[in-house]
This record gives sequence, structure tokens and C-alpha cells, in this order.
Amino acid sequence: MTPSAPPDPGPADVIVRLEGVGKTFKVLHQTPFLMHSVLRSVFGRRHQEPLVALDDVSFEIRRGESVVFVGRNGAGKSTLLSLIVGTSIPTAGTVSVKGRIGALLELGAGFHTDLTGRENIFLNASLNGLSNDEIEERYDRIVAFSELADFMDVSVAKFSSGMFVRLAFAVAVHLDPEIMIVDEALAVGDQQFQKKCKRRVRELLDEGRSLLFVSHRAEEALQMCRRSIWLEKGRVMRDGPTAEVLAAYEADLESSPLPRRWRDTR
Amino acid sequence: MEGKKRWPYWSALKNLVLKDFRVRYRNMSLGILWSLINPLVMMGVLVFIFTVVYPNRGTQYFPIFVLIGLLSFNHFSLCLNSMTNSLVENTQILKKTNFPRFLLPVSVLISQSMHAIIQFALLLIFLVVFGVPWSVHALWYPLAFVVQFVFTLGVGLLCATLCVLFRDTLYLVQSLLTVLFWFSPVFYELSVVKRAPHNLYYAYLLNPLAGCIDTGRRAFLTHQPPDPVVFGMALASSLVFLVAGAAFFRRYHLQIADRL
Repeated sequence: MTPSAPPDPGPADVIVRLEGVGKTFKVLHQTPFLMHSVLRSVFGRRHQEPLVALDDVSFEIRRGESVVFVGRNGAGKSTLLSLIVGTSIPTAGTVSVKGRIGALLELGAGFHTDLTGRENIFLNASLNGLSNDEIEERYDRIVAFSELADFMDVSVAKFSSGMFVRLAFAVAVHLDPEIMIVDEALAVGDQQFQKKCKRRVRELLDEGRSLLFVSHRAEEALQMCRRSIWLEKGRVMRDGPTAEVLAAYEADLESSPLPRRWRDTR
Repeated sequence: MEGKKRWPYWSALKNLVLKDFRVRYRNMSLGILWSLINPLVMMGVLVFIFTVVYPNRGTQYFPIFVLIGLLSFNHFSLCLNSMTNSLVENTQILKKTNFPRFLLPVSVLISQSMHAIIQFALLLIFLVVFGVPWSVHALWYPLAFVVQFVFTLGVGLLCATLCVLFRDTLYLVQSLLTVLFWFSPVFYELSVVKRAPHNLYYAYLLNPLAGCIDTGRRAFLTHQPPDPVVFGMALASSLVFLVAGAAFFRRYHLQIADRL
């Protein structure tokens, strides 16, 4: 189906499969308080505009593939990644994933600000399914990678946002993930750390791991991924070799610099 | 080896329990002593009121009598408060990592129950100091604790899920806990309630804390086995709460990150 599909599409090689996936959010204008829903159920339901974040998205990703997702803000990229990670469930269709995921969703992985760097490494890695023995064994490598050895006994509340990303990334790449998922997080660390991260990601790719990431930078996308998926208003506009997809996406950006949803309503 | 069969989230559960301990006491100079000071102060107040202000002559070993009630109620109250909050306060972690969601409320319950064990040592000290005789019936006490644990787990799962759906659940829980304090036999005997009309008495027993506290007092103070009706009601009610809480949690657990 996909233009970039490698010659042998053995089903065993498919590690991520999305079939007709849709995700609709009910938009509430405020946090749901008990009183509101009581009132609403008593005085009848006000019309709620559902927000379609993803609509009939289907694709497969094979072992060892690296795919970059492009699209405007609000196109559904982050929602899509959270469905693959499993923190969110689709409202239509099915998502199936094989293998451990190392994910960096949004900025900074969920760290606990009352704990030290070391304690956060253990908590975060174990929540990703690693045992404390396995973490102990990788601990030195994680700390070395993050270059934060001097801060391991300091509460992460005192960390800068760059330090957060370093620690999060260091843990994620040492989870031994079959699938790395990176949502724009690379854009935060300094130049030298970004290079290091890319080197490490490339090593993982060479070992046959897969990479899914979101980027707004064309050269980065071209460097890291052969395949690209362009999302627009929750739909797959184009899926194929990165250069082609990027060219189409950029042409579209030129022709309509404002987000379509915005333009349509004027 | 057996290593392959091990549940992959054992370490996560352990780390979460440890986290809970550390976070609670890290910035406090008195540290773990707080979990002993709180029940002691409450006990002092209640003993003062019911021996000096409003003398209660019927009950032997009144301070210990009150302490047993307080330990049980405090455990439930602390667990329920922190379990209710456990999912909401970890929004960031829930949105970014996919792990079994029940780990959060359950880890809080375990860490609070470890405090209960420390506080239990306090009870033992009091029993020795007051020279209360011992009997084999003391062995019923752990059973009462198990029933209370089951009850707390059920209500906690229910309230944690409810708090994701409605943030004001936490305030609701706090208000209901103050009400429940008076509807649990903390500073009065269960036999006082027995004088109420029968159906009211049985409604009262639907609160498993009543059965647990009464069983604890029989175990240490009056040296009797639990009352079969009282204990049976507590057990049955706890199991119903557990099933209801677990079912409610299961219904929503995959949607938690989306709804936070």
C-alpha cells in the first residue's frame, strides 16, 4: 500500500499497525465539575462540538523503519503518538503495537519534582517495565549519557528545562526500546546534546529498532527518516519517501500559510 | 529461572511505595515521628474530654480503647485522601508513560498501611504500659486489618477514578470522612449503637470500620472472638465495595490520561 514499503511485507515484521483509527475529543469549556454535570443532566444537554483529532488513519510500520510525522500544529501528530504509546485509546479503529516503547511525549518526561535525579531514573524506567536490577546495571550509562552526574542527588525541582530533557532522553534511549517515539523533544537540548541524541538514535536504528518522531525541521527529517507521513486535520494527506512528502507539505504551506481550519471559518 | 515469569511492574510498585515514603517525610525535621504524634495527640484530646470534661465510667482502659478506634479510622482516612488524589496528582506521569494505572492508588495504599504497622507498635507499647492481659484472641486483630484493607482498596479505587472524572471528588471525600468519623465507633462502644432501632443498627454496620474497630477491641481488651454478625457484615460490605470499586476502575482505567 505505502509507496515506501520494502520488498517483503511479512506480517511478522509489522510492529505498529493502525486500522481506521479515529480519535474524537468532547470539548468541554471547563474542567468537569460535579455540579456542572448534575445541572446539565437536569436541564438537558447543551450542544457540544466534538473535536475530531484523528479521522480514519491507517498505516503500518515495520521493524527497523524510521518515520517522521509532519503537519501543522493541531494536525493530530501528538495525539497519534500518544495512541501508539498507549496512554490514550482510539475512539474508532484499532492500534496494535509489538515490543517495548521508549517515548518522549511533549517536553520533559513525567518526572516527580520531589525526588532526586537518581530516584527519578529508577521510578521512570521501572514504570516503563524495567526491573530495578536492570536499571542498576544501566544506571552509570544513563548518567553518563545525560552528563548530569553532579546533579543526581539534587531534587529535579531545581533542574532547568534543558536538564529535564537530557535526563528524560537518557532514560528513554536506555530502556532498550524496540520503538523510539520522540515528540519534538529533540528541539530543546543544546547543539552538542542534540547531536549526541541523534547519534544514539542512529545506533538504535542500526540495531534494527524503529523510530517515530515529529519534527518541524526539514533537514532533520531528511537526515533521520526515509519515510514520512503528513497529517492534516487528523487525516493522512500523504505517506511516502521523506523528500516527496516534505515537498508536497511545503508546497501546501506556501499556498495556504494559515491553518486550513482557521481559514475555512473566515 | 523464574525471572522470566516475574511481573514486569514489581519494581515500579516498589519504587512508587518508596517514593511515597520519601516525598512525605523528606522536608520534615521530625520525619517518621509524625505518624506517631498525630494519633497520640488525638488520643490525648479524646481521653481528656471523656475522662475529665464528660466522664465515661463504663469503659476499661479508655485510652487504649480510643487508640484502637483512632488507628483504624486514621488509616482509612489517610489512605482514602491520598488514594483519591493519586491519579490526579500524577497527571504528568500518566500522560507520558503507559503502565498499569492501578499501580498509583495501590502504591499509596501500601505505603499508608506500612505507617499503620508502625502505629501498631505504639498500640503494643500502650498495652504493655497499661498492663493489659493478653489472650489468643489477639490473633483476630490481623484479620480485622485485612478486612479494613479490602474495604479501603475498594473505596479508594472508586474515589480515585471518580476524582479523574470530577475534580471536586476530593472535597466531597474530605467532608464525608468527617461525617464517617462520627458514624464509626471511635470514642464510643458499638454496644451503644445496638440500642438504636434494629434496622438503623444494621445500616450502621454496613460501614466496615465499625466491625473492624469492634473486632480489634475484642481482640485486645475484652478477649473475645469477633461478633459473627458484626464481623460478617463488615466482611460482606468490604467485599461489595471492593468489587464495585474494581469494576468502576476497570471501566475507566484506559481513559484516565485522556480525561485528566
